[in-house]
Amino acid sequence: MVNSYRPTSLQEALNILAKEAVTPYSGGTDLMINPDVNATYLFLAKVPEMNQIVADTEHIRIGAACTFTDIIENELVPSILKEAALQIAAPAIRNLGTVGGNICNGSPKGDSALILFAIDAKLRLVSSRGERVLPITAFYLGRKKTALQADELLVEILMDRKGLNNYYYKKVGARDALAISRVSFAAILNVTDRKILNCITAFGAVSDVIIRRAEIDAMLIGKTIEEAKAAKEEYFAAYDQKIVPIKGRISAEYRKAVCMNLLRDFLKSNGI
Amino acid sequence: MMISFILNGQEVASAAKANERLLDILRTEFTRTGVKCGCKEGECGACSVILDGKLVNSCMVAMGYVEGSTVMTIEGYRETERFAALDRAYASVSAVQCGFCIPGMILASECILAKNPKPTEAEIRAGISGNLCRCTGYNAIVKAIGLAAKEGEGLW
Repeated sequence: MVNSYRPTSLQEALNILAKEAVTPYSGGTDLMINPDVNATYLFLAKVPEMNQIVADTEHIRIGAACTFTDIIENELVPSILKEAALQIAAPAIRNLGTVGGNICNGSPKGDSALILFAIDAKLRLVSSRGERVLPITAFYLGRKKTALQADELLVEILMDRKGLNNYYYKKVGARDALAISRVSFAAILNVTDRKILNCITAFGAVSDVIIRRAEIDAMLIGKTIEEAKAAKEEYFAAYDQKIVPIKGRISAEYRKAVCMNLLRDFLKSNGI
Repeated sequence: MMISFILNGQEVASAAKANERLLDILRTEFTRTGVKCGCKEGECGACSVILDGKLVNSCMVAMGYVEGSTVMTIEGYRETERFAALDRAYASVSAVQCGFCIPGMILASECILAKNPKPTEAEIRAGISGNLCRCTGYNAIVKAIGLAAKEGEGLW
């Protein structure tokens, strides 16, 4: 009985996925916690497109089966993602765990997924039927539910090459290493000609899906720093309404308070 | 279908299923019991091995992933000069108490020094951050790795 496949090309992987119920396996760090003895794994570590980091004119393209160590060590990867990757788990897990797995796991606590929300990354999903590019914000449908179809693979993550330098990132966990985020927050703010060109915030580990509210962030866009200062209480109030944390091991009240503190600190760090 | 890989320098083949854990196969089929089973969820580092030059938790590796790879456990590493330097350093500062974490801790030490022969204390602590020790409180281990770097200069 065949109980695994080790394709060496994307086409081969997609053909297998199209005709059989297999479990895509990239790093295995989530799968192996509760290994399914009946699963047939589709090992992705030898699929070239999924294991490389390249740049084209518009994007940095990160293969979904790249490990966090690959990300930390690659010169093309922007600091915002490196900083988050360095705080994931511990070296041995970073050597196996992959960014694609972190996304497809569907958890709102995925530390790299949060960053990809905050930079409006796009996901290239490919099946033997064709391919589509989906904004990561449209990928998550609910707790542990994603838009990935059974015959599709997340092949690459596309990040813009520009505008990612002025970022803010904080992971709040119980300890430095091997910590699952209690609250995580990432944001970008760019100012051009004294006006706020864009403001993106994302809250992880708070709700069923990472929280990203473009319509609230829009309240600050186009304003000067002075104008943003005047508008910030209204901005905080809007978030205060929209952030409804779930209760887990950590109380909803704690999560909410931390979210609002981080949001305030993010603006403060930008002089707002 | 057999799964072939290199274990401590020797070509081996395992009849294990592709979805079995490397940890279990190393301990049962290959009797490499220096690989300890602590938590089976990547939290403790007792099952650390070096896979293709990188530290991994063998509880989180499926056998199918290992095909064609090189695996080093403490049984292979202890034959090296680098091990001898770490062994002396750990012993000289009493960095070992019950010993359960030590095979993983030694392999983590190797990976720290292979990447950076002169690590700072912070780099050492980050390097062993996935290896739990319930006896020593870590300070002696951190000291031992620093000492091995110094005394074993040129080995890494």
